[in-house]
Amino acid sequence: MNTVLIVEDDRNLLRLYQAELETEGYRVVTASNGSEAAERVALETPDVIVMDIRMPGRDGLDTMAEILREYGRIPIILNTAYSSYLDDFLTWAAEAYIIKSGDLEPLKNKIREILAAHASPCDPPRNDDGR
Amino acid sequence: MSVQDLSQPSLAAVPLERRLAELTIFYEVGHALQRTMDQEKALCIILVGVTAGSGLGFNRAFILLLDEETQTLRGRMAIGPETPEEAHAIWRELQRNQETLGDLLNSILTNGIKKDKWINEVVSHIQIPLSDDTNPLVTILKSHEASRAANGLFLPHGLPVDEKLIRLFGTDEFAVAPLFLANKELGLLIADNAIARAPIDLANLRLLQIFAQEASAAIQNTRLHQRLIDQIKISEDQTITLRESQQQLLQLERLSTMGRLASLLAFRIRAPLASIGGFARRLLRVMPHEDARRDDLEIIVADVARLERLVGEVLAYRRISQPHFKPADVNALVCSVLATMHDEIQRNSVRAMLRLETDLPIAKIDEIQVRQALMNLVSNALEAMPAGGTLTVTTSVVTQFLEIEVGDTGIGIPEQNWNKLFKPFFTTKTTGTGLGLTIVSQVVENHSGLILFKSTPGQGTIFKLRLAINPEGKTVAPGGAASA
Repeated sequence: MNTVLIVEDDRNLLRLYQAELETEGYRVVTASNGSEAAERVALETPDVIVMDIRMPGRDGLDTMAEILREYGRIPIILNTAYSSYLDDFLTWAAEAYIIKSGDLEPLKNKIREILAAHASPCDPPRNDDGR
Repeated sequence: MSVQDLSQPSLAAVPLERRLAELTIFYEVGHALQRTMDQEKALCIILVGVTAGSGLGFNRAFILLLDEETQTLRGRMAIGPETPEEAHAIWRELQRNQETLGDLLNSILTNGIKKDKWINEVVSHIQIPLSDDTNPLVTILKSHEASRAANGLFLPHGLPVDEKLIRLFGTDEFAVAPLFLANKELGLLIADNAIARAPIDLANLRLLQIFAQEASAAIQNTRLHQRLIDQIKISEDQTITLRESQQQLLQLERLSTMGRLASLLAFRIRAPLASIGGFARRLLRVMPHEDARRDDLEIIVADVARLERLVGEVLAYRRISQPHFKPADVNALVCSVLATMHDEIQRNSVRAMLRLETDLPIAKIDEIQVRQALMNLVSNALEAMPAGGTLTVTTSVVTQFLEIEVGDTGIGIPEQNWNKLFKPFFTTKTTGTGLGLTIVSQVVENHSGLILFKSTPGQGTIFKLRLAINPEGKTVAPGGAASA
C-alpha cells in the first residue's frame, strides 16, 4: 500500500484530502506545518507528498527543499491557492503543481500517475505542470 | 552732411491753434488706447491717429514690432491706400461722413478692424534681424531717436537710405520713429506721404516722435496684458493637469489597494471553497440516486466551481504582468484547454469542433497566459450558449501572427457593449468579475498581438486572437478590438 503524506494547515481541507485519498486505497499520513512534515517524512517514508505552500512557520517551498536534500527524490505535488507559482523557479523541483479545488480528480489522477511512473524503473520521472 | 536739431522749431514758435489741434489728437488717441487691451486694436488706433486727416495727417503708416524670441523686427500692421485713386475715394468718403478722429477710433473699438489688404500684405513680409547693424532702421531703433528719410539720407542720423528700403516702401521720403519704453526697444512706427507726394517737415517728424512715445506705452501695456493672460492660462492648465494627475494617482492607488485586497481575499477563500466543494462532492458520491437531496448538493458543487473560477480570474488578473516567452505548440495548448474544460462543455450540451492548422509554426508565447486567455474565451462562449450549440476553435497563420479563433453559436454581444468589452470590471453576468476579457486583451497585448471580434446578436460571436509568432522581435502592435 502506497503512503501519501499530506501537508496542509487548513484542518478541514486536510480532513477532506485524508478521507478522499483513503477511499482511493492509500495509507494517508498528515502534517499541518513544515516542521511536522519533515518529522513525518523521517518516520513514515511516504511514496508521494502533497504539500501546501503558504503555511505558518516554515513554508512549503523551504520544507520541500529540505526534504529533497535530506531524504532524496520523493515526488512532491505542490498544492496551493496561488496560481502564480507556476512561473516561479522555486517550484521547479516539484513533480507537479495543482491548484486547490473542491474537485479532487486532478490531484488523485496526478498521484496515480506519479506512483505508476515511480513503480516502473523504465519510466523516467515525469515533470509537468499537473494541469 | 548737416544734422538738424529735432527740438526745432521750438514749442513757442508753434501757433496756439495748431498746438491745441495736436493736443486734441493726443487726447483722442490716448483716450481710445486706454479703452483696449487688445494689441490688434491698439495698433490700429495708433495707425489711424497717424494717418487720419484730423490726426497727424500722414498718407500711410506702418508698425514694425520686435519679436523678442527671434530678436527680429517684423511688419505687424499698416494703413494706407494702394493708389492715389483709392486714397481720394477714402478721403471723399470721410469728408462726406464728417467723421471726427474720435468717431473713427470709436468705430475701431466697437466694430473691430478692417485692414487695408495690399499694404498689410507688403508689411507682413518685412523682417529685419536686430543683429543687422548695417540696416539703418536698426540703428534708428537703437538710437531711440526719430529720423526722416529724404534725398537719400536719414536725418539727423546721417545714414544713407538704401535702394532696398525705397523699393520696400515705394517712396524715398518717410519718417521713422522708434517705439521704446525705458531703454527697451519695442519696434518702429513709420509714416509717409507717398500718395500726396507732400514733403515731411520737421514739425511732422517731431509730432510723430511724441506720438510714438504714447504708442509705445500702449503697445507695451497690451503686450504685458497678453503675457498675463497667457500665464494665467498656463497656470490654469497646469492646475487642471495637476488636479487630473492627482485624481488619477488616487484612482490608481485605490485600484491597487483594491487589487491587493481582492487577491488576498481570493487567496484566503480558496481553501475553504475547496473544502466545501470537496465534501459536497464526497456526499454526492455516496448519496443514493433516488435521494431528492442530491439536487441540493449538486447546486453546492456547481456554485463552488463557479466561485473557484471567479477566484481564479481575480488571481490571474493580478499576475498578468511580465510574460515569460517560451517556444510552445499552440495546437497542443488548444487541445489541452478543451480537455481541461471537457466536463463543462459536456454539461452545457455544447459540441466542440477543432480546426487545427497542421503546419502551425512553434511560437514563442507565455503558455500560462495564453491558456488563461483561451479558457476565458471558451468559458464565455459556453455561457453564451445556455441552450447548447457549437463551439469552434480554429488555429491558423496570418502573416507574422498565429491566429486562434474561438467561435460560438450563442446569443451574441449587443452592439452597445462592443466598446466596453475589454474594460476592467465590465460584465453582463450576475456573478462575473468583469476581468475575463480584460485578461484576454492584456495577454494579447503582452504578445504584441491583437484581438478581433465579430458578433451577430442571436447568431453567435467569433473572437480572433492574433499572437506574434516571435513577440520579442516585434516592437509595436498594441492589442485592439475591431468589430463588424
